Amino acid sequence: MMSAIWDIEQIKAILPQDYPFLFIDRVTEINEKDKKIKCLKNFSYNEHFFQGHFPKNPVVPGAIIIEALAQASIILYSVLKPDIANKKPSYYLGKVDAHFLKPVSAGSQLTLEVNAAKILNNSGMVEARALVENEVVARARIFFGVKLKENNKRGV
Amino acid sequence: MAKPEQIKKEIKKAVSEIVEMPESELRDDASFADELGVDSMMALEIVASIEKKYKVTIPEEEIPNIRSLENVYEVVLKSLNK
Repeated sequence: MMSAIWDIEQIKAILPQDYPFLFIDRVTEINEKDKKIKCLKNFSYNEHFFQGHFPKNPVVPGAIIIEALAQASIILYSVLKPDIANKKPSYYLGKVDAHFLKPVSAGSQLTLEVNAAKILNNSGMVEARALVENEVVARARIFFGVKLKENNKRGV
Repeated sequence: MAKPEQIKKEIKKAVSEIVEMPESELRDDASFADELGVDSMMALEIVASIEKKYKVTIPEEEIPNIRSLENVYEVVLKSLNK
């Protein structure tokens, strides 16, 4: 079992998302110098979407895998730009180039690896991979925007 | 190191793919925002692709000055000559 660098409370303090749309359980590695991060998400059969996706064939929707990678990207952004992240900005998905290589079934533990290609104050581009048991199940290049809300714009 | 003309050609090719416009129609002085519809995500893509290709780092404060292909050439050539 990999040790947690960030537990769920630290994750919730950064991510604007919350249950039932929080797709990071743990942060297991942060490498500030190389600008990369590793997170875990366990997809138990109890996840609400397995009821319909699909009946008798519980597979994690590709869009949810992208969402998990995007949430891991927010955490990486917060490590690299802590002053802005602490002001609780809005994060917007801008563009995603994704490849889905293998289905992810209920009971899988997803490892989310995100490498920063370029992180600016108001946007970011990352190269992300999702793995199950060391096999890449999806990879994506994700672009996102970061915008401070009106009431906390002062100072940036 | 590659010659400036060669670098310009390579940059133009990369930018034409990102803005989805044929190289033949892409003028060096065309405004990214007003004429080519480059939004912040495309600008980021242009910067990231150039950084990767030429192993340079374009400082964040330079990015608002990149308003056309000509500006991209300037920034890259300046970074390569450092």
